[in-house]
Amino acid sequence: MTTPVLEIRNLHARIDEREILKGVNLIIPPGEVHAIMGRNGSGKSTLSYVLAGKEDYEVTEGEILLNGENILEMEPDERAAAGLFLAFQYPIEIPGVATMTFLKAALNAQRKARGEEELKTPDFMRLVKEAGSQLNIDNDMLKRPLNVGFSGGEKKRAEIMQMALLKPSLAVLDETDSGLDIDALQVVSKGVNALRDGQRSMLVITHYQRLLNHIVPDVVHVFSDGKIVESGDKDLALKLEAKGYASYGGEAA
Amino acid sequence: MRANFPVRLGPAEDALIAQLKAAGADAAAERITVAGLPTRRVESYHYTDLKTLLRAIPPLATAANEASAPALRIPGAFNLMIANGAIQNAATAPAGVIVGKAEGGVLTTRDDVLVHVNGALAREALTLTLENSVDPVIQVERRIEGEAAHVADALKIFVADDASATIVETFSGSDAAHVGNHATYLSAGKNAVVTHITIDLSARAVSHFATNEYQLADGAKLRTLVIHAGAGLARTHVFPRMAGAGAHADLTGLNLVADGQHADITMETLHAVPHTSSQPLFKSIVRGRAKAVVQGKLVVARDAQKTDAKFMHQGLMLSDEAEILSKPELEIYADDVVCGHGSTCGMIDEDSLFYLMSRGIPKPEAETMLVRGFIAELLDPIEDEELNEALQGIVDGWLMSGK
Repeated sequence: MTTPVLEIRNLHARIDEREILKGVNLIIPPGEVHAIMGRNGSGKSTLSYVLAGKEDYEVTEGEILLNGENILEMEPDERAAAGLFLAFQYPIEIPGVATMTFLKAALNAQRKARGEEELKTPDFMRLVKEAGSQLNIDNDMLKRPLNVGFSGGEKKRAEIMQMALLKPSLAVLDETDSGLDIDALQVVSKGVNALRDGQRSMLVITHYQRLLNHIVPDVVHVFSDGKIVESGDKDLALKLEAKGYASYGGEAA
Repeated sequence: MRANFPVRLGPAEDALIAQLKAAGADAAAERITVAGLPTRRVESYHYTDLKTLLRAIPPLATAANEASAPALRIPGAFNLMIANGAIQNAATAPAGVIVGKAEGGVLTTRDDVLVHVNGALAREALTLTLENSVDPVIQVERRIEGEAAHVADALKIFVADDASATIVETFSGSDAAHVGNHATYLSAGKNAVVTHITIDLSARAVSHFATNEYQLADGAKLRTLVIHAGAGLARTHVFPRMAGAGAHADLTGLNLVADGQHADITMETLHAVPHTSSQPLFKSIVRGRAKAVVQGKLVVARDAQKTDAKFMHQGLMLSDEAEILSKPELEIYADDVVCGHGSTCGMIDEDSLFYLMSRGIPKPEAETMLVRGFIAELLDPIEDEELNEALQGIVDGWLMSGK
């Protein structure tokens, strides 16, 4: 059996004294795209932060294996170098740091962590140009401070561009459709689909079924009250859209 | 009611009084005899209590006969030097630059002990007259070399109408308990465009004091940048006088302070005539147990209508023991002006740090990026590439020294 790209075993996590993840189990084999759907407050975004290693959350039980390796003891930058990428629901604005400078630092830091040589500037520029052109990101945008003054669509396109450059083995997309109009959604989805290569796995976290028309998942999981309560194929998403989350219990957010 | 107790004088004051008397500055000596060095009860020294902080005044400097390495090299710059208060011979000046000497102090008298002492003790002033635009950066190195010494020196700069220039002053020298009291007077002619940068790179043992006075004629544009990155005790005065309609000043500064240091930028801008503007923007970064102070006073004269000025101080604390003090003051006598002030203070933003780290950037590097980002607003407007790089190097050096 091939090693799954992601394996989550009985994951429990809390913030302050409040338990949010209550026993998550999930296996994503190489090349598969899994979607997690659930109502607001069900713990979907927490799962993405815990995967990426945000300090505020404390894992009390369970394991997260990335390509067979337990990543729970790793810092966020080490997880990134190990092949994890989180596309943020709300990308952070960082004044004074040019997007281009940031991209170069990120790429080279990951290469260094993997024992690879740093990219030469012309090679880096070529990679950025290629990745940018597919997502309608021009040089002017790259010269601006990271995410500062970017529109909602620009921020999400920039996230996908980072993903394209960093080539993770697992991409976690947290509510990537939020704040996007239909045109922007298509550009972003096209960017994501271009990165489906049969090897890279993805975990698409979303509130609405709409995104899954564009990024068609192999498996859909329903998330409720801190764990996965049902899994199925892409038709499960349509069923959810029609019926809502009410049948899974808990209170509406 | 104020009781008239005699002030108890300490060794620093005794030494200072003796030096002033020997220089024939009886009035300045008398002031210190009566009032002592300013304490926190003097409003403008509230956060920088000189009586407590300045424990000794070393002997007045004699000629320097050794030299430390230059603290900052700016490729292509035209260099001048004042060492231990004495003006050194310079290379041939670029076209339009007249280098000369004048007697005595350069500052306008005001009620401030550092200004009085400089005026009394500075024997000669280096004068720079810029008759037209000067391309190379002009760097004035002010050194205090040898054994611990008290130095008062002075520089007077005239920038002609329509001329543009960039002048950088660096303060450095030997690693002894010097007290430097430096003065610069800069007059910018009509529509002149001037950048003036002063960088303290002295040793930790040094007490560094500088007063930068500016006079701006009609339409003159001034950008100033004070960087404190050296002395254990540093205070720089920024005193611009907006004296011509259309004059504008971007007054910026950066306190970089670590364990045991105390750095103070005190600005007082006088908007003397209608239709002038200023944009004071100061930043302080503090790590360890250290103190940064920024005081910013905007004074708008009675008929200086349409003045537009906003003071801003932003602090970044890299430790729990860091202290950042901010004092904005507005003194406005006109009624049709837009004036304001703001201060912020915080630690490194955790969400920003997580975001950078989630892209593979290790924590120390991510922190450095965020600190550089915090300062970018001050360095980005410095267009000369070599100079910009040199300044970035100072900031990076300071950041690295704390890793």
